[in-house]
Amino acid sequence: MTELLPLAVSFEAFTDVGFWSGVLVTAGIYTVVALGLQLNVGYTGIVNFGQAGFMAVGGYTMAILVLEAGFSFWLALPLAVLATMAFGVLIGLPALRLRADYFAIVTLAMAEVVRLVAQNAQGLTGGNKGLYCEFEGVNQTCFDDAWKSLSNPFLDWVEGFWPDVDPLFPLLLVVWGTVVIGIFALNYIQRTPWGRVLRAIREDEDAARALGKNTLLYELQSLAISAMFGALAGFFLALFLTTIQPDDYEPIVTFYAFGVLVLGGLASYKGVAIGAILLWTLLEGMRFVELPITEERTAALRFALVGLVLILLMAFRPQGLFGKKEEMVLGR
Amino acid sequence: MAAETGNGPALLEVDGVVKRFGGIDAVNGAGFTVERQSVTALIGPNGAGKTTLFNLVTGFAQADRGSVRFDGEEVAGMPSYAIARRGMVRTFQLARALAAMPVLDNMMLAAPEQPGERLRNVLLRPRAVRAREREVHEQALELLEVFGLGEKADDYAGTLSGGQRKLLELARALMARPRMLLLDEPMAGINPTLGRRLLDHIQRLRSEEGMTFLFVEHDMEVVMNHSDRVVVMAEGRVIASGEPHEVRSDPAVVDAYLGSPA
Repeated sequence: MTELLPLAVSFEAFTDVGFWSGVLVTAGIYTVVALGLQLNVGYTGIVNFGQAGFMAVGGYTMAILVLEAGFSFWLALPLAVLATMAFGVLIGLPALRLRADYFAIVTLAMAEVVRLVAQNAQGLTGGNKGLYCEFEGVNQTCFDDAWKSLSNPFLDWVEGFWPDVDPLFPLLLVVWGTVVIGIFALNYIQRTPWGRVLRAIREDEDAARALGKNTLLYELQSLAISAMFGALAGFFLALFLTTIQPDDYEPIVTFYAFGVLVLGGLASYKGVAIGAILLWTLLEGMRFVELPITEERTAALRFALVGLVLILLMAFRPQGLFGKKEEMVLGR
Repeated sequence: MAAETGNGPALLEVDGVVKRFGGIDAVNGAGFTVERQSVTALIGPNGAGKTTLFNLVTGFAQADRGSVRFDGEEVAGMPSYAIARRGMVRTFQLARALAAMPVLDNMMLAAPEQPGERLRNVLLRPRAVRAREREVHEQALELLEVFGLGEKADDYAGTLSGGQRKLLELARALMARPRMLLLDEPMAGINPTLGRRLLDHIQRLRSEEGMTFLFVEHDMEVVMNHSDRVVVMAEGRVIASGEPHEVRSDPAVVDAYLGSPA
């Protein structure tokens, strides 16, 4: 087939369950990242380019607490979430006083500082090797031991009636469970008077202040909640990759999440989930399109195609798939 | 219009306020008072510093020197939202409608004492939040009716005309239940019928609810007929203040702003 047609799709690979489980987990992780961004960008009007930094702070704090400080994994998770939220507030306190575009630059710089510190504070973070397991004599402790001790028996149990289940299935459930709960929770608080104040800040911060709203406080809360989602995504990424390395938290992570946001549309939480699935299906599914060109070129073409899709979307449906056109047009 | 003022100290006392931008003195030692339950007009040529003074009084800019006392309390240096919560609420020269929000949400946003504006209460006291929302919803609809915007309640504020936006901004400011309203050119861009309604409403709020008004206005007919006192600014200073007829014949005012009758 492939020799005859210039363009073909290998259907065998298309039905590779393990591959697509990985894609779905990735899409889920990016949904969690972008849910926080949606709260910031779509509903509060603060452009946060530092989401990868929050992921790194969450992931590293968790792993360091488990490996270096000997905390239990289940205690380390909430502690790392709180630490990341506090970090978000710490960054926000000075940075939110800046104009919107400068705030974006500061958050981007923050994320890079976090990554570079992780790269260089080798005693704590393992430098470029990253963190996974610690050895003490014959004893080995890994940050995901507690997770494995829960997910592996569960996987065995599922295999009892679904023999072909993918090993990623437990993580897939937890990630998408978090997505569902996150979307419900965010939609709920968005419809409250609290959420109304956020939207007012997005529309016109001065008008909100003139009506007695402490806008800085709301922006800090928005940023802290976004940091929380960042930390959760950081945990999931660490469990998915079974390692925490500085390279996994480059700024491109944040910008993929922005791609998700643009695809799904501003001011829609479910749009984030759909956008993430679309973006990653497109990016990864392109691997199976066989073209009469070299592999490197196909790899480059994948990104070019995703770029093209985003450009076409901007041209013909600027509000994204689920965004409201009125909010795009009238907001300006 | 009889001036029913003079009960107790002035509601707003501005004294020796200075604001420099670069090398320019936007406001240079301005001082005046606004009596309780009065309607005070702030007039002056363009560039006199009226809007800057508004910003300084309401905390949208910080004065380099001077004092602003609201109801006896020093508010200079306070953040704008804190001043608004004390009951001094402003509108803007260009109406700041929250465009991508429904008109009704614009109104409900402004209501004070909504426990649901705190995340903690959203989670722990949802019933108190809902009860307050119902109250506020009703008040908002009533007020929109008064301002002739009842039918627009569910439309996005961005679809309103310029004049309607001005009315919405005033109605929204009233939702905040202020003791004093500062209006920056409330009549600009409004057709005369709507303007008439706005002025009537101001008079009614003053006599029925004891509200105090300070407004910037260029239309002398409005200033002379609808204010109890007039404060005249020029080049960052207050050059005269008093009842409209006193100010009108003040030579300094005529010279700086009104111009001599042809």
